[in-house]
Amino acid sequence: MAEPRVSRRDFLRLGLLLPAAGPLLSTLAACAKKPAERVVNFFNWSSYISKEALPGFTAATGVKVNYDVFADEEEMFAKLRSGAMGYDVIVATDYLLPRLRGSNLIAPIPMEDLKNLSNLDPKFLHTPYDPEQRFSVPYLWGTTGIGFNKKLVAKAPTSWWDLWDERYKGRICMLDSPRECIGTALLLKGQPETTTDEKDFEAAKELLLKQKPLVKQYTSATYVDALVAGEAALAMAYSGDVLQAVKENPHLDYALPKEGGYMWVDCMCVLRGAPHLADSVALIDYLLRPDVAAGICNAVHYASPNAAAQPRIDPAVLKDKRVYPPAAVVKNLRYHTPPDPEAYVLWNQTWSDVKAL
Amino acid sequence: MEPDLVRRQGALDRGLSWLIRGQRPSASHILLAPATLWLLAFLILPVASLLSLGFTHRGPYGAFEWVFTWDNFRRALDLKYLPILIRTVCYSGATTALCLVLGYPLAYFLSFQAGKRRDLYLALLMIPFWTSWLVAIYSWIIILGREGLLNGLLRALGLPPIAFLGTSFSVILGLVYFYLPFMVLPLYASLEKIPRSYVEAAHDLGAGNVEAFLKVTLPLSLPGVLAGCILTFIPCMGDFLCADFLGSPRTYLVGNLIQNQFLMAQDWQFGSALTSLLLVFLITGLYARHRFEEQGLFEESE
Repeated sequence: MAEPRVSRRDFLRLGLLLPAAGPLLSTLAACAKKPAERVVNFFNWSSYISKEALPGFTAATGVKVNYDVFADEEEMFAKLRSGAMGYDVIVATDYLLPRLRGSNLIAPIPMEDLKNLSNLDPKFLHTPYDPEQRFSVPYLWGTTGIGFNKKLVAKAPTSWWDLWDERYKGRICMLDSPRECIGTALLLKGQPETTTDEKDFEAAKELLLKQKPLVKQYTSATYVDALVAGEAALAMAYSGDVLQAVKENPHLDYALPKEGGYMWVDCMCVLRGAPHLADSVALIDYLLRPDVAAGICNAVHYASPNAAAQPRIDPAVLKDKRVYPPAAVVKNLRYHTPPDPEAYVLWNQTWSDVKAL
Repeated sequence: MEPDLVRRQGALDRGLSWLIRGQRPSASHILLAPATLWLLAFLILPVASLLSLGFTHRGPYGAFEWVFTWDNFRRALDLKYLPILIRTVCYSGATTALCLVLGYPLAYFLSFQAGKRRDLYLALLMIPFWTSWLVAIYSWIIILGREGLLNGLLRALGLPPIAFLGTSFSVILGLVYFYLPFMVLPLYASLEKIPRSYVEAAHDLGAGNVEAFLKVTLPLSLPGVLAGCILTFIPCMGDFLCADFLGSPRTYLVGNLIQNQFLMAQDWQFGSALTSLLLVFLITGLYARHRFEEQGLFEESE
């Protein structure tokens, strides 16, 4: 289940701590740790790993994993930038990589130490977001589309415009994410994501503000709960989140809109100055093992970039077009374009305004 | 209030005199040192850094660049944010009023009627306050939801379900739930201080229950009313959890706008400017109250 997104404690910590206090605190925390115990601090999306993976790693290597989750990548970025967290390995979306590098938060991974790297499908290596394959190792991939409750909609959604349908007023959830919402609005307006024209952002804002009276909540964390509980009929959603929740509510389903959706690859990265580098690399290598990668894919219903794992993945998952869309659909999917710093300001201010106005 | 303030200023003066005039440290310096250091390290410095951040330029991806600019304040003073401020003031005002209406009789009961059971009742008042906010908020979601307990009751009675969640009602309900103790405790403290002999004297002089309450108890409890209102109103102005979890996109408050700058937009500079303006707004309010008090609005209560 999704984790609660914000805690008062987090906000106080971010808002009131001096930026300079961060490194100091992490040093203190490091000193307090017993030197004998080997640990890796792993920061991942919520509902994004199998139950067996981490205990299996500890059993195989004797290294303990401190596992923390986030439901919101921007919040994760804010936490990393405030510097007080002491994580070793994080999972970040392709889109976030340039910003993590630009903010000097991630370090090159010694790829030669990853014996299982060759298990990966080569099309996920040397990608535009990491052309030299130095900073990231693909973990899972998935799509952004529409999750819905079959009992609460007249017919299954086929278009992004179904999220603008007046009939579902107050029962639509949108991801609290500038990338997904503005990206979709630009797509519907026929504008490329690479635009830096303020007029395009103004038009995207208008479109989202037109939808706002229908929106129940902008949330990346609780939309699955809302779908399961029948509070929401439709939600902009990440594929696996909805498919995992089918266990709790069999009426849930997921669709990719005909206009095309977004796909993304979540990658494992090592933080700059990670206190446990060697064990971090061991963890990444372990997660690339075919049996482990297949176990994760079976548990979370996101697609695995691990070619060697393919035979071990549950055929029902492998054949599920919502997990592994057919080639014709994939052709219609696109990656988000990471904005440069100036465009990034436009994206964020537009999103801040959509929520505030 | 006044002599208290003078006393505090005197203490501060003495505390600094050691540094300024080279006097030998005395007991008061040693006693004051931990609190002074604490305040300096965990209040003054962070607030100062937050305030100064509001005057700086936003670097790439929100990095700190210590270059002076007014831009953040110019953006923060944009009229498009006025509706959010008005909404926040309305919600906080409504919460404060509701807390007062609910809290005064409660505090009165605790102070005058509860007798031996008072400690038990006070504990009952505090227990919800000790639970985690998130647990409490999720409990309210379970109660108020479309398929929740309250709607289950309505359905059992043959009534149509009502959308409680995502409305001003649910947000204010959450705020009242959380901030009621902030109202009740100062009220209780001030009612508790009223010498019972004053009320008896009023009765002896022929006042009925109502008259004695209106002429003696109520005026004497006004400082508590004021303290309770301030203690409720101010944290309400910065609350964002209730609006986030119990509200909808249409119940967006100043707290949400500020939170968004820090966690989502990576625009701490703008968030700092908004925070500074909220602080100025609240401090102006407190100062105005102080001036009113000086002019003797509450003279009869002193």
